Amino acid sequence: MSATASERRSAPRVRAGQPLVTAQELILVVVIAVMWVVLGFTTPAFLTPGSLQPLLVAVAPIALIGVGMTCVIITAGIDVSVGAIVMVSAVTTGKFLVDSQAPLPLAVLLAMGVGALLGALNGVLIAYGRVHAIIVTFGTANLFQFLGLRIFNSSTVNGIPPTFEVFGRGAAGSFLGVPISFAISVAVVLIAWWYLRNVRGGRHLYAIGGNAKAARLIGVRTGRSVLAVYLLTGALAGLAACFVIAQGTSTLDQSVGAGMELKVIAAVVIGGTSILGGRGSVLGTLLGAVLVQSVTSGVTQLGWPSQLSDLLVGVFIIIAVGTDIARKRLRSNR
Amino acid sequence: MIRKAAPATRAVPAQAPDRPAASWGKKLILGLLTQRLILLAVLVVIVLVAMSLLDANGYLTAPYDADYLAASLINAVPLAMLGLAQMLVILSGRGGIDLSVGAIVSLTGIIFGFAYGPLGLPLPIALLITVLAGAAAGAVNGLLVATFGFPALIATLATFYAYKSLALVVSGQRPISSPSIQDFYSAARPVEIPLIGGGLPNVPLGVFTFLIPVVLIVWIVVNKTTFGRQLYAIGTNDIAARWAGLPADRTRFFAYLLSGVISSLVAVVTVAQFASARPDAGVSGNGMALPAITIAVLGGVAITGGIGRVGGIVLATLLIVWLNAGILLAFEGNDGTQFQFLALGVILLAASLLNTFATRFTGEKS
Repeated sequence: MSATASERRSAPRVRAGQPLVTAQELILVVVIAVMWVVLGFTTPAFLTPGSLQPLLVAVAPIALIGVGMTCVIITAGIDVSVGAIVMVSAVTTGKFLVDSQAPLPLAVLLAMGVGALLGALNGVLIAYGRVHAIIVTFGTANLFQFLGLRIFNSSTVNGIPPTFEVFGRGAAGSFLGVPISFAISVAVVLIAWWYLRNVRGGRHLYAIGGNAKAARLIGVRTGRSVLAVYLLTGALAGLAACFVIAQGTSTLDQSVGAGMELKVIAAVVIGGTSILGGRGSVLGTLLGAVLVQSVTSGVTQLGWPSQLSDLLVGVFIIIAVGTDIARKRLRSNR
Repeated sequence: MIRKAAPATRAVPAQAPDRPAASWGKKLILGLLTQRLILLAVLVVIVLVAMSLLDANGYLTAPYDADYLAASLINAVPLAMLGLAQMLVILSGRGGIDLSVGAIVSLTGIIFGFAYGPLGLPLPIALLITVLAGAAAGAVNGLLVATFGFPALIATLATFYAYKSLALVVSGQRPISSPSIQDFYSAARPVEIPLIGGGLPNVPLGVFTFLIPVVLIVWIVVNKTTFGRQLYAIGTNDIAARWAGLPADRTRFFAYLLSGVISSLVAVVTVAQFASARPDAGVSGNGMALPAITIAVLGGVAITGGIGRVGGIVLATLLIVWLNAGILLAFEGNDGTQFQFLALGVILLAASLLNTFATRFTGEKS
């Protein structure tokens, strides 16, 4: 044991030697597995497609935005405006669908375009305005909220055609039993996971989060990278808005997207991404989103008051981050 | 172990050193750009003048006069108090922030409603229980952040969820509005200012019973007590403060505890204002935490800690409350509430961008 410890001290940390999955992710897999087995025994209906499919459909938008949010948090930023972006994107796209009966690709493009535009505004202000990300996104969240409410025009959007049903809970929304929206989110997670691990641009995000000044000095174009992650987050929030429309009825009300930013941040944090930047993985975020949604639907299926799920989410955040802190302390004490 | 050497944070005096031959006008512009208090005061005056002009020309749906301004101060009570709570935790540094204040308002509001309503306890005892509950809720945050080293954003996000959920579960999602709670509405009624009040407009009672005492106490605490000066010290440079022998963890712990206490007082005001204890009082819509953080930042509190003044919070609150009051009169129907979002966003972004340009303009780094 002491030999390995001294070896570790002498050998420089090689990033390429990073394990494929972190301890946090393994723990999350175990926790989710245990929870599913326990829920499966106590409520037999839990481990059936009829229960798991809606769960995964509900995970999809959170995991999707979570990919962007993970990248943002890796650069030591944060984006609390994603809920408002989802709102603007959803209401714009909803109205467009009602008016034009446009085909699916065009509608998705519009939703993602709107999201990317709003995300780019965040990115420009944060990268070049030199204002702390949390302040900028608090400010733009208010602006986007205003924008969304103006487009809603003090009423709901009614009669949205079922263009997005491929993203929904129904039979059209699944392929071989797997919800299509969830499959898309997983695909995005995998691409992001590969990019963050193996591509220079991805490694630069970790460098920026670890030490922005040092990153700039070694030639990383920090401004451009930072702008890109907020733009990405906005675009993914736009796609998530399509999922949200698909999950609802044909009516969209003004509460769409509200509180989503905190759900996403909770999933990212439970997934082991450090809020201080420089460390994190999108795989963890996906698992975090699955865990949070499992808690929510587990509480409902056990017949407990549904508000209790938020308490459990809070407890899980504390446990997830607490074990991480404890592990780090143990390591530094050795 | 110190992982990376903290950059030497040069303590820049708020006032730029005397520049010889700087004309009076130049000084004014410099002051506007670098002194948040002056900027806010000027903005408050601009809002008042602009709204009065609109009023005089008949663009507003109701008179924007002293009575209306005084009555709108009821909105300033929770906003300024929670802004001060945020200031205390943000001052403590290391990414200090408290997302859970709205949830504490909900939870302690239900506790107050239960103690004063169905249980029928006398008011002082009900108040005491409420404040103790707020202190306990804040202490949990403090314990997580200061003692265990959780990042504040995460710890208070977790407790936000927990307290919000507890408030809903404990109350069974039903507001408490027994007769004694409904009578408690009188605590929020407008009153004449004693002694000099005859000719002046009536001001909501909550301003005197809650807001002004809290503002004074927080001002004394941060400016005149050892705790307050230690708060600025640990926020400016945590490591240096530790090496200087300051009890950094304990000071930070109490900042979060105080934030919980102030939130519980806001809960009492909110119960009085709505004549009922609602389990979602502090978290419905955008909640109370985000506006409070916005007020703190607008008031000149540096999100990195160690910089911030009570006067800034008060002026920022007056600015937002009176601007919002004017916007409500300038638009009909729901449009007013929508434009309030726009105004808040624009002012927050403009104020923080101005900071950036001011530091470039004056060549000072802060």
